[in-house]
Amino acid sequence: MTSTRRLVAALALVLAVTPARAVVTGQIFGPGSQSFPIAIAPLKNLGGDADGAVGKQFARVLSRDLDLSGYFKIVDPRTFIEDPQSSGITAADIDFVGWASIGAQELVKGGVLVEGDKVTIEARLFDVPARRDIPEVGRRVSGTRADVPRMAHRFADQLLEVLTGERGPFDTQIVLTSTRGGRGLLKELYLWTFDRDDPVRLTSEQTLMVSPRWRPDNRAVLFTSWKEHWPRLFQLEMGTKRVSRLVPGKAVMQSGAWSPDGSRLLVTREDGGNTDIFLLDRSGAVVRQLTDHWAADVSPTWAPDGQRIAFNSERAGSPQIYVMNLDGSGLRRVSTVGNYNTAPAWSPKGDKIAYATRAGGGFQIVVVGADGSGGKTVTSQGSNEDPSWAPDGRYLIFSTTRGGARHLALTDRDGRVQRELTRGTADDSSPAWSARMEW
Amino acid sequence: MRWMGKRTTVVALCVLAVALSGCPSTKKKGAAGEDGLGGLGEEGLAGSSLSRAQKGLRPEEDGILKDVHFGYDSAEIDAGERDRLAQNVEWLRDNPRAKIELEGHCDSRGTIEYNLGLGAKRAKMVKDSLVGQGIAVDRVSTISYGKELPLCQEESEDCWARNRRVHFVILK
Repeated sequence: MTSTRRLVAALALVLAVTPARAVVTGQIFGPGSQSFPIAIAPLKNLGGDADGAVGKQFARVLSRDLDLSGYFKIVDPRTFIEDPQSSGITAADIDFVGWASIGAQELVKGGVLVEGDKVTIEARLFDVPARRDIPEVGRRVSGTRADVPRMAHRFADQLLEVLTGERGPFDTQIVLTSTRGGRGLLKELYLWTFDRDDPVRLTSEQTLMVSPRWRPDNRAVLFTSWKEHWPRLFQLEMGTKRVSRLVPGKAVMQSGAWSPDGSRLLVTREDGGNTDIFLLDRSGAVVRQLTDHWAADVSPTWAPDGQRIAFNSERAGSPQIYVMNLDGSGLRRVSTVGNYNTAPAWSPKGDKIAYATRAGGGFQIVVVGADGSGGKTVTSQGSNEDPSWAPDGRYLIFSTTRGGARHLALTDRDGRVQRELTRGTADDSSPAWSARMEW
Repeated sequence: MRWMGKRTTVVALCVLAVALSGCPSTKKKGAAGEDGLGGLGEEGLAGSSLSRAQKGLRPEEDGILKDVHFGYDSAEIDAGERDRLAQNVEWLRDNPRAKIELEGHCDSRGTIEYNLGLGAKRAKMVKDSLVGQGIAVDRVSTISYGKELPLCQEESEDCWARNRRVHFVILK
């Protein structure tokens, strides 16, 4: 194609779309549509990033986040016409016709300044057809070199907020258990973030541990460990990596969950072969026994209002999901899809509950209204367990066996996005999604 | 729950004894009757499934005492399994000083936390049966490992059935 013909084609494309601002909040289609073409240029070196490593890292992390979100088609960087290092980064200097000609509807461009360990990034989102930037996304941010992935995640989260009406979930952390240490069936706690290939190990307990959950301030993780022979609750301080008993005493505890305000705990306590759910205060003292039934009651999870809980009980003869008020009243079954249902997780938005339902030889993830309405199975391949909601209440992380060893995967509340997150031959399980991180 | 206190005390005393004597204790093999374990020796003390995993060993299947198996999502002891249980009861009667821990295990077809509850139920069911047949309650403790320490990891009926079990660990 000659440059003249390319220009004509590009102009025709530009004229074909609305000349005013083409993108309006909430206008783009839902996750899974992969409908929205976006180009992400490596950041221009404004000093100190001579090899372009920081600028490329930002673009790589941002591209992965936007791909995972399911809303976007990431324009192949090999088709870029503009040289990111020699071209301008303001609306007046950008070749919008060129970007339109390679199919970009939106464009991320910016610059990076590196001074020692200090990194300053200014990135902007541009509406290609309208030839202007979208001021709600992007601004100048500074941090250390190690903060660059988080700068990209925050940019992705802002971008999703402007384009979809809901802030993105990527500037967060995932805690999980994994056998990656190579010690057979023993598990340790690991941390994974959306810029990593592999989780990093947090503990060296050399025992069994399951069911990690974040404290709402993101500064500690509780988990169940066999460190002192019987399963009991421990916590890991994220700052010091110190592990200590969370609830004192000799009671056997199989799982726990901090209340949304961090002041109380729901725990599963086993006594004489039966498990019931208890509400504890910060010191571990029992405030109230919430269930008292011969059938096993396990896996308590809080509603975001801190006034209701969901849990798993086999009181009806098979495991099902129930909700009830924190005073024990208002018991109601909400699992309507499936006849063997476990591992509930209440969305931080309050409107949905996810759980694992037995189907065929394995489990699938179901999302149902918190009132039991409108159940929908959101996974189909492999066996899928342990759903955990993103703080946006839109995405879910879970463990899956699809394609081999158990690893982490992502879906959304409608099941339209399906993405694999971790790889390898070890068993990655029990993912828990943190709250949003403070900058 | 009183088991834990006693167990902890016993362990603490053992540690103290070793520390005071200044040399590690060595278990005598084959001294029948001497320790009330019928000349069990070290080969009978395979250790808990967790301690074995910590040494890089697979969980033990059918030690001196036989595993009791369960149906899917069940904590009921079937008639066929009662024969195995009866053999275990006989051994426990012959070895009155032996203490045991019952490990509840599950197959992979349940989620992690649900299976912890199910494993606890299985162990308790076997304990109740032993006590009902005259075994002193303070000789039997229970623990659940859910589906965390499977004997095998294939997704097949045979493997699932092997993993749905209460395993007997001789503590002394």
